[in-house]
Amino acid sequence: MKQILTVDDSSSIRQMVSFTLTKADYQVAEAVDGRDGLAKAGQQKFDLIITDLNMPNMDGIQMIAALRKLPGYGFTPILMLTTESQSEKKDEGRKAGATGWIVKPFKADQLIAVLQKLVK
Amino acid sequence: MGVAGRPDVTCTLEKAGQELRSILLNSAEEMDRVGRDFEDLAHRMDVILNLAAEVIGCVEDERVSSILSKVQTLGTEAKKFIQERLLASGGILEIVTTEAKSLAHLSQLTRSQRSIARETQMLSVLTNIEVARLGDSGVGFEYLAHQLDDFSQSVAKDTKELTSNTDKRKVEIEETRRMLGIEEPRMREEFAQIEADLGDALAVVDHGLTELSGTPARFRSCVEEISGQIAGVVAAVQANDITRQQLEHVCEALRLISDEIRQVGGCGPEAGNSQSRISAGLAIQVYQLKSVRATVDDWVSQIRNCLGGILKISSSEVERIGPVVLDQERGLAQQLSRIEAIEQACQASAAKVEETFAALSTLMQLVSEHLEKSRAVRDRLQVLTFNSIIEASHLGTQADAILEISQSIKRISAMWSEMTEQSGKAKEEILGLVEQAKRKIDACSEAGRGGLQEAQAETRAGLENLRAAAVFASKQATEIEDRISELQARIATTGSAGDRLDACFAHIDTVLGEVEESRNQFESDSAGALGSREQAEVEAKLSPFYTTEIEREVMRAALCGAPLPEAQQIMAGNDVELF
Repeated sequence: MKQILTVDDSSSIRQMVSFTLTKADYQVAEAVDGRDGLAKAGQQKFDLIITDLNMPNMDGIQMIAALRKLPGYGFTPILMLTTESQSEKKDEGRKAGATGWIVKPFKADQLIAVLQKLVK
Repeated sequence: MGVAGRPDVTCTLEKAGQELRSILLNSAEEMDRVGRDFEDLAHRMDVILNLAAEVIGCVEDERVSSILSKVQTLGTEAKKFIQERLLASGGILEIVTTEAKSLAHLSQLTRSQRSIARETQMLSVLTNIEVARLGDSGVGFEYLAHQLDDFSQSVAKDTKELTSNTDKRKVEIEETRRMLGIEEPRMREEFAQIEADLGDALAVVDHGLTELSGTPARFRSCVEEISGQIAGVVAAVQANDITRQQLEHVCEALRLISDEIRQVGGCGPEAGNSQSRISAGLAIQVYQLKSVRATVDDWVSQIRNCLGGILKISSSEVERIGPVVLDQERGLAQQLSRIEAIEQACQASAAKVEETFAALSTLMQLVSEHLEKSRAVRDRLQVLTFNSIIEASHLGTQADAILEISQSIKRISAMWSEMTEQSGKAKEEILGLVEQAKRKIDACSEAGRGGLQEAQAETRAGLENLRAAAVFASKQATEIEDRISELQARIATTGSAGDRLDACFAHIDTVLGEVEESRNQFESDSAGALGSREQAEVEAKLSPFYTTEIEREVMRAALCGAPLPEAQQIMAGNDVELF
């Protein structure tokens, strides 16, 4: 079973991501912010990471930049799931190493379809 | 008097900010609770949908749906079988009728032989009298008298046995003929009835299968509707994250505006411009709060719709499957039993006919033996006639009476010969008819029955599948009903989520009133509408807070005095943009 990490300071968003992906047979772990996400990624290898942008302690872009330096995470797909839709922010995310961008709320079936494509 | 620097306005705005933070805290807790409740409901829904999917799978199974073709084959085979039986019965009845006539003829011949035997007995007595009268010269006729006596006794014994057997067979043949005569119209009636009943049974199966085939589509549409509702709640819970940020940004903006109010003092164009900027900033917050209110109303209604949709779920569609399948099974089982009963009756009747013909064969054996004896008797009579005439001629007039007896023997011999001939023909005719009847019985037994029995076995297996499907569907339906009851009981306790969220966000209206009132005060004191430069200043100042597209749209609408942008269509959700 593929391992997914969802990083968001909103528990309800983590809950919905977890609910959606668990139904599609993914195993989902949760982290409350970028720092927590980085720590969890260090303890266990995830097949894909979904992260929010604005979070306390460490934001999503900082976390992605740090993750890309971790062994084994050079090519791991990382999706930003955020309320932000500004192109400058998307550029920042892409430069940090994000694989894709989703503006909240996500389309459950489309998210699963993308995950199936990215995590083979 | 200007309101700039008035502590009551800054107090109002600070109070509004505090109230918004309190709403944020409460709504976050409430949304978490909604999320947990919803997850539990969705899990329960999954269990129900899986149970229903199993029932649908069972209905869609080829073993259930193939029953129609099996029943069609059974109907065709049953009709073929009955038609062949009818044809054979008609032929056999005809044969049996002819046989009855032949047997009657044979019986008549046998009776005639018995009368000849009686005549021969009399001739034997007369010969003995003549022997006694002739004295020594009549000794040669003692043998004739003895032979005639022996012949008459033997014929009397044989014909008695044969007559009794023939009479018995005649009764049996008559019984068979009567049975076939009754059976044929009954079978014709059964045939017509079974044709109509099978047509009805096929129509019932066809209707049932059509009804069942619609169930998966209805079920799929129900599943899609529920999936849509679930996706709506998932989106609604996510939308809360947007409104949360909007409210946080309003709090932050109110704090900044309060700071600016404190800094504004005096009169003049600069103070007027500041008041215009403050008024515009407050107008933006009013718009943001109204936008939040509209969005909240939208997703609260979505949550209500979803819970309402789940409440409407009924197991009735799935519950109907078991009885429909069982009805089909019962109707078909009845038809199958009927066909089996007809087949058994046909077999019994064929056995009876076969038995009759077997007994006839035994009789024909007896007839053959009797014919053999009759031919031997005929030969002996001819020799006796010849010898007695020669002997009587030697004695001259003395043996006139004996000569007369010899002439009588000659006549009897001719008659006997004729009867033997006729009996032989009758026997051959009967044997030929028996063979014909046997061939007819064998032919229809082998041909029609094999196909019918195969179709019966297939239908029996099909009915077994239907029974299993019906039992399974009923069991699942009961379980689904229980699960739906549990789910609905759970909704009864969590169903007030919409009301709780409404109550939670209702405080926004109070805050909105306070901010709007403050803004009105500033508007009356302001230098008028903002120029494009001031608008750009306000936008530049607040833009960094507004991270979402909706916030930016609302801000622009507020600055232009345009209508409030419509709340985001939360049901739709957004696509993934891959880099």
